[in-house]
Amino acid sequence: MKLAFIAFLLGQWISLSLPNTPRTPEGKPDLYAPSPKGYNGRPDFSGIWRVAASKYLFNITVDIGEAPFQPWAAELYKRRSDALGKDRPSERCIPHGIPDGMLVANSPFKIVQTAGEMVILYEEFNHFRQIFTDGRGFPPETSPSWFGYSIGRWDGDTFVAETTGFNDQSWFDDPGHPHSDALRVTERFRRPDFGHMTVEVTIDDPKAYTKPWSVKIPFNLLPDTELIESICENERDHAHIVGK
Amino acid sequence: MELRYDQSDVQASKRLAGRRGLFARANVAGISMKFGATVLFLLLQWVNVPLPNTPRTADGKPNLTAPVPRTSDGKPDLSGLWRNPDGKYLANIAADGIVVPFQPGAEALYKERQENFSKDRPSGRCLPHGIPDAMLVPATPFKLVQTPGVTLILYENQGRFRQVFTDGRDFPKQMDPTWLGYSVGKWDGDTFVADTRGLNDQTYLDDGGHPHSDAYHAVERFHRRDFGHMDMELTIDDPKAYQRPWKVTFHFELFPDNEIMESVCENELDWQHRVGK
Repeated sequence: MKLAFIAFLLGQWISLSLPNTPRTPEGKPDLYAPSPKGYNGRPDFSGIWRVAASKYLFNITVDIGEAPFQPWAAELYKRRSDALGKDRPSERCIPHGIPDGMLVANSPFKIVQTAGEMVILYEEFNHFRQIFTDGRGFPPETSPSWFGYSIGRWDGDTFVAETTGFNDQSWFDDPGHPHSDALRVTERFRRPDFGHMTVEVTIDDPKAYTKPWSVKIPFNLLPDTELIESICENERDHAHIVGK
Repeated sequence: MELRYDQSDVQASKRLAGRRGLFARANVAGISMKFGATVLFLLLQWVNVPLPNTPRTADGKPNLTAPVPRTSDGKPDLSGLWRNPDGKYLANIAADGIVVPFQPGAEALYKERQENFSKDRPSGRCLPHGIPDAMLVPATPFKLVQTPGVTLILYENQGRFRQVFTDGRDFPKQMDPTWLGYSVGKWDGDTFVADTRGLNDQTYLDDGGHPHSDAYHAVERFHRRDFGHMDMELTIDDPKAYQRPWKVTFHFELFPDNEIMESVCENELDWQHRVGK
């Protein structure tokens, strides 16, 4: 698994001096400057972010030990991880899900925050996700989907996203922590300063886990750059990787 | 504030979904007569969301002829869900009788694609529709999210996005060719002008297969006429493929009180089995 190959040739991130980047006296981005404020004086999470360590993609529970699996979920996880994550959706150009779309170290993501919503633009596969803050509630019926339906709210300076309406297809990480369609994810976004963000992800899925569990994932800002386009062109090599 | 969904919304959205199915069939019909196409995506159900910023008529319906909403700096706010309901443009962007000033090579390629029913078009392999045709798929609307520094185009089709930068940056000195290019926006009065370069030569301008080269420079001029209507004039400037720049104007309708759905293309490999001439 550690030898997982790089599925994409990485183009070159561009360097551009963005007007809203706070700078040190020598002109470098000041990553410890105060976090910017957006609508209603709350922190503005807008920017390009990258997971601080790739270990989470290789095991989302790396910091907390084993997840409180239900028996079938433990069995499925063992089968998937023994097979080195073969058959994971991303090998068929299907998005990484929540949270693992944010965990791909080679592919940052961009947050664009407005009064009405937070948009997350994933460099990987050029997909996006919306978290609505315009006062709407969850719709009475949603079709199960890869990214679910997300509603955001504020808890002080913490942005809290609640997501339901998932299908049971995405994996939490590459070795295959599973979930069911009963999944409810709560993400608590904090931006303590300009260059750093943490997202505490709580997994609540009584069909797959005996109790809710949480992981806290750190992210670093990628200043003065832009996402590059990354289109998955029917990558089919990974299916040929042979596990146990 | 909590927006409430009542049962009539659900019913309305079901009706809408039915209409949407019709559009999809109508859209495919244009192709299917010629191409024998299958529907590439299972159509799910749009969610009816009574949005707080929708102006309403006395009977509570969205007022599609209300004035254009504006941002705090007085510019038109293009934000919203938009759709081109007429599938003819997806089949042929020159459908309105436009004489396309092909270069000979581009004309031959177009003819070849016409004859093989565009069986190799990128969207048949889950690769992006381009500029403009990602906006022309009647069954899948797109959403504009206008912010001071960037305007996002969120395509329901394949769940992809584009960014049009308005933070003062210029084009990068070096651009790797990409499917959706690099876009910089500016205002010309009340018209938002998106200038796009850095495109690869892979996308089709429409399903019929109007080609472009990597010299393609697209200029889209968005003009929101009122709350419910927007025009976009596209200039196709591609001297390798066309003898001179040419223009097409598309009309979009707002899709009020709605949200785009997730549409993930799952390695659709059927399209390439279609057999042309």
